Amino acid sequence: MMDLFFKPKSVAIIGASGKPGKLGYVIVNNIANSDFSGDVYPVNPKSDEILGYKVYRSVTEIPGDVDLVITVLPTPKLTVATVEECAKKGVKAVIIESAGFAEMGGDGKMYQQQIVDITKKNDIRVMGPNCSGIVSRDIVTSIYPINKKVPRGNVVLIGQSGLLAAGMAADIVENESLNIKQVCSIGNKCDVSENDLLEYFGAQDDVDVISMYLETVSDGRNLTRIAKKVAAEKPVIFLSGGRTEAGAKAAMSHTGSIASNAKIVEAAAKQTGMIMADDFTELKDFAKVFSTQPLPKGNRIAVITLAGSVGVNVSDLCASHGLELPKLTTETTEKLKDMFDTPVANPVDLFFSVTKIGFTKTLETTFPDAFRDDNIDAAVIILAGFEYTQEAVQKKIIQKIVKEIGKPVVICMIVGYNKYKNVIMDEMGKELPVFPSLISGVKALSKLCEYGIRQQKKS
Amino acid sequence: MTTAQILSQAREEKRTVLTEIEAKQILGEAGINCTRTVLAASKEEAVSLGEEIGYPIVLKVSSVDISHKSDAGGVKVNLGSREEVEKAYDDIMTSCLAYAPEANIEGVAVQGMAKMGTEIIMGMINDGSFGPVVMFGLGGVLVEVLKDVSFRIVPIDKNDAIDMTTEIQGRKLLEGYRGQDPADVECLRDILVKLSDFVNATPGIEEIDMNPVFAYKDGAVVVDARIILSS
Repeated sequence: MMDLFFKPKSVAIIGASGKPGKLGYVIVNNIANSDFSGDVYPVNPKSDEILGYKVYRSVTEIPGDVDLVITVLPTPKLTVATVEECAKKGVKAVIIESAGFAEMGGDGKMYQQQIVDITKKNDIRVMGPNCSGIVSRDIVTSIYPINKKVPRGNVVLIGQSGLLAAGMAADIVENESLNIKQVCSIGNKCDVSENDLLEYFGAQDDVDVISMYLETVSDGRNLTRIAKKVAAEKPVIFLSGGRTEAGAKAAMSHTGSIASNAKIVEAAAKQTGMIMADDFTELKDFAKVFSTQPLPKGNRIAVITLAGSVGVNVSDLCASHGLELPKLTTETTEKLKDMFDTPVANPVDLFFSVTKIGFTKTLETTFPDAFRDDNIDAAVIILAGFEYTQEAVQKKIIQKIVKEIGKPVVICMIVGYNKYKNVIMDEMGKELPVFPSLISGVKALSKLCEYGIRQQKKS
Repeated sequence: MTTAQILSQAREEKRTVLTEIEAKQILGEAGINCTRTVLAASKEEAVSLGEEIGYPIVLKVSSVDISHKSDAGGVKVNLGSREEVEKAYDDIMTSCLAYAPEANIEGVAVQGMAKMGTEIIMGMINDGSFGPVVMFGLGGVLVEVLKDVSFRIVPIDKNDAIDMTTEIQGRKLLEGYRGQDPADVECLRDILVKLSDFVNATPGIEEIDMNPVFAYKDGAVVVDARIILSS
């Protein structure tokens, strides 16, 4: 049933418009620009043709079957009438993008209930209302223009926020900053909820990472059950909005007075193995690390730096995030003795090696020799945006080493926020997790290690 | 009475608050060790129960209308003789009737003084979205001030119980400190799993407090318990 949303063979856009700028236009244009190869049926009683597609007066006039209907109508009342027509037509999947429903209270709530009643009776699945639906290579239903091809990636974002799906998706697609497969905005969740999507994407082999933002939990008991199953197989990153310390309910017991919505959601995350993110950037950053890097077997980190002071700071951050900086083995120390003026320590200060053989060569030989060490599970690499780092970035040396050694890295940018910054942040950031601060990189790596260790224990 | 009988009787009487005696009966049936607690409907009965259980004893008012027993002056501890029990009984009645004149008081719950152990709180609440949730924490000041507790969604397994007891900030206190005995953490985990199993199998329970639970080197006992049913 969920396939009707993501792999429809035909789609009708009710409220389609021929006027650029109108939401009903953006959606048709987004579909036209996607790889969607099925039938497109714009519906508008006053137009004949939109973007080359024949326009129909109503959904019931469309000659063939309609797998998916997208509605973007000016009033909730019109939307209800349209859903009635969809039921008559035998449509089984509807995305309602318009707002003005339960989120407004009052009449809006009533209209949403009417939609629920009609769709339940007719076995129709509904995404929304008050959402922007799906952004993917095969179909884009978003009301925000997506001007580039969406990747066929391995990351899915689920969001209960128009901004996430619309703005963030556009951003990610534009900058190629995350290898996404689908972005779904589920709005008021009158029917399709995070649980449906978690289960659906959990079962798909080409989805490696699921990142999810929720403002409300529809059915926590089911979420716990499903997330436990899915998170055991692939990382589920979870940002919960509206976490308050207010009591979950007016309680007569001590337990009840301590229990807060925030604590219960947090407990569910721990219990199921979901990875908690604290903001939208982390939702994306963690997904970047998990989707590009292999899982570490432990939490033993090598800090790769060219400046002692930075190494000290990263060491402290590692300690406060549960990461260890072990000594390298005597074999490694022996092997690298010519590249260090004093025996190699951790943080691994490459300065001497760089002065001796240059930066690129150091990254190609000294770094992997240290990284390969049996005591090391992962590395934090600190890069500065200087001229001398450019060659290594262009030659994609770090990517090659990660692939060859099979251990994960995160890159942290420090100083040199100059003309070279974009090369590292944006260019290198397409393939590797690159962070603009030490703490964000260390935190993301700590999450990867936490998950890696848990998976390791299970096997 | 069995759990089913207690629950159906409470439903018939249209009350959601169970007495401590009922709560402990139910938890006992779920396999959780509680201090023996018996109802005395009169002063004389309280005295004879005291003799039977052995001094010192505790008297607590037993009334579905008084849920905060201490606030009502309804709890007297460490009663070492017949005279003390008689006086305590009278004091409890006077004080509770002053606190809640309309209260229907069935008598006092008589129980032995439990040996002091590491003070633990455990409980359960039925969350609107997540359903039953269980809680574990160190009791007394630590729960009052620091709210140093952990939660898990029911049903929990042994590993969840291990996480619950190791996640709290004060976990070191369970290992024994300043010469105090360590707490039998195995036993506490077992209680958590039993609590989870019980609420998972028994719909209609809104809240449970087991506060305090005294944990010893070997074993643990629920000293006070409260159960609230869904309305």
